[in-house]
Amino acid sequence: MNTEYRMKTRIWIAGTIALCALAAAASRGAEGMTRLDASPGKDMKVRLEGTSTIHDWQAEGTIISGFLEVGPGFPLTPGQSVTPGKVPVHAEAFIPVRSLKSIEKDGSPYSEKMDAFMYEDLKSPPNLRIIFRVSELTLKEAPKAPDAPYVFEAKGELVVAGVTNTISFPVNVTPLGDQKFKVTGSTSLKMTDFHIKPRTLIGILSTGDDVKIQFVWPLIQKKPEGTTK
Amino acid sequence: MIENQNDPFGCNRRDFLKSGSFATLMTMMGGVELLAQTEATPGSPSAATTATFKVAVIGLGTWGREIINTFALLPQADIAVICDTFPSALRRAGKDAPGAKQTADYTTILSNKEITAVVVATPTHQHKEIALAALKAGKHVYCETPLANTIEDAREIALAAKAAGHQVFQSGLQMRSDPQSHFLLPFIRSGALGQFIMARAQWHKKTSWRATASTPEREQALNWRLNKSVSLGLVGEVGTQQIDITSWFMNANPVAVTGFGSVLFYKDGRDVPDTVQAVLEYPGGVKLSYDATLANSFDADYQMIYGSDAAVMMRENKAWMFKEVDSPLLGWEVYARKETFYKETGIALLADASKGAVAGVKEEAPKPFTTTPLHHALSAFTKKCAAVDDFIANFGSDDPAALQSNLASSHLSPTAGYLEGFHAAVTAVKANEAVNTGQRIVLKPEWYELG
Repeated sequence: MNTEYRMKTRIWIAGTIALCALAAAASRGAEGMTRLDASPGKDMKVRLEGTSTIHDWQAEGTIISGFLEVGPGFPLTPGQSVTPGKVPVHAEAFIPVRSLKSIEKDGSPYSEKMDAFMYEDLKSPPNLRIIFRVSELTLKEAPKAPDAPYVFEAKGELVVAGVTNTISFPVNVTPLGDQKFKVTGSTSLKMTDFHIKPRTLIGILSTGDDVKIQFVWPLIQKKPEGTTK
Repeated sequence: MIENQNDPFGCNRRDFLKSGSFATLMTMMGGVELLAQTEATPGSPSAATTATFKVAVIGLGTWGREIINTFALLPQADIAVICDTFPSALRRAGKDAPGAKQTADYTTILSNKEITAVVVATPTHQHKEIALAALKAGKHVYCETPLANTIEDAREIALAAKAAGHQVFQSGLQMRSDPQSHFLLPFIRSGALGQFIMARAQWHKKTSWRATASTPEREQALNWRLNKSVSLGLVGEVGTQQIDITSWFMNANPVAVTGFGSVLFYKDGRDVPDTVQAVLEYPGGVKLSYDATLANSFDADYQMIYGSDAAVMMRENKAWMFKEVDSPLLGWEVYARKETFYKETGIALLADASKGAVAGVKEEAPKPFTTTPLHHALSAFTKKCAAVDDFIANFGSDDPAALQSNLASSHLSPTAGYLEGFHAAVTAVKANEAVNTGQRIVLKPEWYELG
């Protein structure tokens, strides 16, 4: 075994250990924080709804990746007693632009031309993802019924088409048990706030400036490595 | 038996008419042409800016070039590499894909990390080697149909595709991706035609199937369809699409096939028939009569399905229903657009015309093709590949169930997968065998089992 080979092996081992440590830290979350990761499946959905001079339009996607790290005060189990107020938070959510598809009202695909228009308006590429970084999470009030969601106000930076705006909107958090969570919410945006001009087609069709975003974001608190049987 | 065939979705004619009443009525009344996806002409310069999906096309014959030209219309696809072992084929196809790299060695594509997907459009008997290698290399694969010229090879491809759970495998049964077919499927299966009686399909074209080349070796390779040892003949190479779509509408694989074939016109030494007939039997006694010839082009190609109440004719991207005088009134047909065919009146079956009706689109003459079944099939393929790649990029590949669940809810267009491709290949192989032997072959159910 030559010296160069031994050196490469050591570097590789050191790198692997460092990566493992990083991965372990990521699964634990920051000190005192609990990390919840996006849990893909049939329930994950983001929906955009807009208007035009001819008919309303809608688009949907099924990928919202990212994570939510929360501190004390966040309900981790169903029915958990928590006090209204700010909750320490670090969260990011990502939506790949090309995963958004224009659809008919019945959910069937609408038009790849409309998809192309949408990607172009969202300036993808180069902005391949819609990003939301949460800076504040405030529990507005405790749920009034055992199965009611916890209502928070989320504030953060939304990056669309490469333009960043600070927004806030209510989100509902429902601990489902078994370390699973459902986060839902909706908000309305103006396309022009993100420097997206309402599109006009052949002089008779123009899209409205307002777009409503709704989402369902399933999360899961992954068990740390080594705790599973 | 027939009733079950007509009710695969658990719906009957009444359910179909009820559930689709308004949309169906508007669709039928709209008088808009039969193009199911009434979108603007694709391929605008602005749309091309979103191209992020790099694909390689392997096999640059006539059909390979058609695939290249169709990809050029897809905003989400970018042909990065084209491949053929013949330099002249590369040069010719290169004119249609000027930005693509050219190679004679497909293995260089497999080691190219930029290439996400490959389209295998080589002669049928060469599919297996390339498709298996591409799957092994982690590529998404669109493999032309028939998958292979033997059942064993087709099974091997299908099993490899099944095992590659994080990759898309689509067989080239393009009519299964056509919105027109999806519009007709519930209509036919719901029993709107009454009891299935029979089916008929034809493909007529005056063409020799023979090409000339500068060397005997090249000529032999180029004319592989005329080589009985590797070719599935007219019924397998061409008929597979029409037979498959009929089987799909019938919701069953054929149970037996009888064939006839002769070299009647092109007596140039070939032994692959230039004219074939085949009768495919389905459960319940319904039969599909298929004929194809290279010696006459009259009436081109179309499919018919006959029921006790009505017949449906599918031709190009349109369909018509011909009702029996004693058939029950469906309601909407009174208002539907009608066209005359000799002494018959065909009621236009209009897919997706409701958008046009809502938008106030007036009845107009059929437009030229902008969206062929191949266009829909390749579009669906690229979108499915992108969906798989996006999922894995965001969530990894540890959870195949979550991936499948995600794909199921992702508004993806329908495609024919490895199983449909395998079933079609089994039928094609045996139908060709029946044509070549002139015998009736009972199609054993186990032949269709993938294992």
